[in-house]
Amino acid sequence: MGNEQHLFVERRKLVKRWKGPIPVIANTLFIMLLFYVTWWIFQDPRGWMRLYTPFKGYMVCRWLLIMFIWVVYIFNYWPFRKSWLNSAHPLVKGSVLTLFSVGLMLLLIKGFFVNILGNYGIAYFNPERLMELGITEFYAEEYSFEAIMMFAAIASWLSPAWVVACESTPWQQLKQPARGTTIVLVTFFLSMVIYFITMHSHMGILYYPWQEFTAITPPYWEKFANTVSGNFHIAWIMSATVVVWIYETIWEKYPFDLIRKDWLRRLSSFLGIFVIAVAIAFFLYFAQELGWGQAVRGTRRLMAPDWRWLHVGEMAIFWLVPSLFLYFYLDNWPRKYSRPVNVVIRTVVTITAAALLYIAYYKTSHLFLGTQEGYSHPQQFPMIPMIWLINMMLINYWFMDGWPGWKLVPETEAEKVIAPVTVKEKEISWNPRFVGGLVAGAALAVILYFAFIKFLPWWCDIFTIIKSNV
Amino acid sequence: MTKSNNKSRDFTRRDFIKGTASGLGLGALATMGIFSYSEKRKNFLPAIDRKQHDFGVCKSVKITNISETSWFDNAVLMGDIRNAGGLLVNQYEYNWPPFGNGKGLAKGSYADGIRSFKHLLPNKLEEAWEIVYEKSVSPDNAGGFACLIEMEDMEGQVHKYLLDSGWSFKWMEDCFRREGIDNMLANHEIEKFFISHSHFDHFWGLPVTYKYDPTIATYIPAGFYPEDKQYIADCGFRGELTEVPSGLQEIAPGFAVYSFGVPIICRVFGELSMYFNVKDLGLVCVSGCCHEGIIQLADTAYRELRYEKDQMHGIYGGLHISPFEDWDPKYDDLVIAMEDWGFEKIGCNHCTGILTAKKFISRGYNVIKGSARFGSKDEAYLGNGDIIEFKA
Repeated sequence: MGNEQHLFVERRKLVKRWKGPIPVIANTLFIMLLFYVTWWIFQDPRGWMRLYTPFKGYMVCRWLLIMFIWVVYIFNYWPFRKSWLNSAHPLVKGSVLTLFSVGLMLLLIKGFFVNILGNYGIAYFNPERLMELGITEFYAEEYSFEAIMMFAAIASWLSPAWVVACESTPWQQLKQPARGTTIVLVTFFLSMVIYFITMHSHMGILYYPWQEFTAITPPYWEKFANTVSGNFHIAWIMSATVVVWIYETIWEKYPFDLIRKDWLRRLSSFLGIFVIAVAIAFFLYFAQELGWGQAVRGTRRLMAPDWRWLHVGEMAIFWLVPSLFLYFYLDNWPRKYSRPVNVVIRTVVTITAAALLYIAYYKTSHLFLGTQEGYSHPQQFPMIPMIWLINMMLINYWFMDGWPGWKLVPETEAEKVIAPVTVKEKEISWNPRFVGGLVAGAALAVILYFAFIKFLPWWCDIFTIIKSNV
Repeated sequence: MTKSNNKSRDFTRRDFIKGTASGLGLGALATMGIFSYSEKRKNFLPAIDRKQHDFGVCKSVKITNISETSWFDNAVLMGDIRNAGGLLVNQYEYNWPPFGNGKGLAKGSYADGIRSFKHLLPNKLEEAWEIVYEKSVSPDNAGGFACLIEMEDMEGQVHKYLLDSGWSFKWMEDCFRREGIDNMLANHEIEKFFISHSHFDHFWGLPVTYKYDPTIATYIPAGFYPEDKQYIADCGFRGELTEVPSGLQEIAPGFAVYSFGVPIICRVFGELSMYFNVKDLGLVCVSGCCHEGIIQLADTAYRELRYEKDQMHGIYGGLHISPFEDWDPKYDDLVIAMEDWGFEKIGCNHCTGILTAKKFISRGYNVIKGSARFGSKDEAYLGNGDIIEFKA
């Protein structure tokens, strides 16, 4: 695949087929069609396969997302040849790469989790073993798929973070498949460690009596999070998943790519994503408290702390959809200002779009997704349709070169010369003006923050998305 | 020189803007991270404004469990749900009785199902059940939930109310006869009939109630789907139907219902639960399935109502915690948090989950045990034919 430091998806040259907004409109319609047809076939409770049980469908859409990331970011399309990637029709390429990813996903779920882990390590990964222990087939599957899905949540943060933040270090010089295999193994190992720290206790208290010899029960986060549910971790892990892609796309890796020292830049990026994710998770939890009042432990829905933590992750996902759309189809608008200004504008625009998407989802989704109206149906997860939509966007942009609105064109000789990865420290000059602006900006942010939290309860009182007394 | 100065000014202005943009992001994220989950955030949360609505008081409440065994084999029910596509599938599609059309699991509909027995409603239920038995999936698994509530007012007069009408026509007729509900309905002794929600096991046995009293005043929560309302009409109902809008509605002194706008599994919406204010005891909450959650039921009362001694005294019904003997860590949150609400007497069954009842008992809550008769499986449940009374 040529120089392995540069991903094919970053190097390829896509051009619009038509002038003006037609490509964006065409792709939006195509993605919506793709979403709805596949939703009906695979997920919709009224449709054909009805995977939205919910956890079967939840697991599938999450692992599919990770498979796409593995294929594109970790394996750089290996074992597919560059010549084929450059010449195959987007529809053929999209179909082949999607089926390849689905095959990998099935192999991983059935082969690794159910048959290897579930038979030789931890019973709850294998539905049949749970059934032998007296659990009904439906819940045996739901519990197993929940565990496999939770593992996916962690992997969907760590796998891309290793490439995006850590720049694939220290294996960036390896050729495929050695590089991809190594990163997959390492991130998989880390995912497993984090799974045990964050989710295993959740699974341990799912069974009666609490599995206190094999899991920490009650979990260590109980007092802090006001719940024994692992949804507390879903909040920050999902936020981290979203922040990785926000950092990679609309933030253009700002500001950590200003750091000159490789190890410091990589470490700062990785930890920075985590810290930002935690900050976002806390804020989104607080926003719910401001809108709906303080959570009451033991309630089951909107007022329950465990649901609020879950909803943090759900809210974060709503931000990822417009961010990817802006990056994929709107050329990461705007580009004409300095990077910090571009980043702020994009952030404001995508957060606004996310809020509109959130409102539209809760106002209308029950009319076409086969779901029910309401925030906190115990078996409905807006992350499923949102991730499914993201998957369709990834298929379109990563596997189909943005067909029909965009097409792949060959590189010129000049473009084939690969520029070295550069650190962009020159962009920012640490002069008194910059520092003054930094302080002023930070002060303004604090004022805006407190103005927002004062304003939010009032706004929630006058603007109701769904009239609900629970 | 001027050009150079302008360039320099421009350069420093740009630096300031870059700094401001960067500071905005940094400051926002730092404040979000430091303040949003700190104890100080609570100063910004609205205080709970207890409305203390006075809905009167009653002398006592007695509840007879007509049937709590909604289905007899959990594995059969969940097998059907699994094979039909999970918990979000429309309940009329399962092809369960009475809406079986002979086409098999997940291929049913209300219109298709009702066609074969509508002409027999509400009086010829044996004949209707014979027809639907042949056409339906898992007909032997259908049971039902219903209970009789007798409230004694402050003058000593007893008012009878029926909560829910179960599922299987055959099973519910047998249960009604066992507890004498058939005669009470026929004699119009039961004043009002409340349908907690439209789930199959609470609602599809509707003709059994209307067979004996098709004019009984009937209450439903807001949110019934068109098929649900059509079923009420198709069952030969000729009385007054009240759709309780979201929120509180007083029924009699000391008795109010609350309509919760909740989406529920199997495509059902809305649940009606009951509050009784018992003299010198406190509040008694009664629910059919309590999909809103029992702590939500209690918390709503805490925010909305004034009740004796400001005490949550009792709770009865399907408490919907682990209805399919399933579990989730959030249920443990509930089991742990129940202690804070101070319920003095708990009568639970049906969708509470036997595991939950046992966890309640092991935590020392006063769970009134039952007799495990007439199909009820465990003494931890206040079972079929058992009675619980709330009286000072």
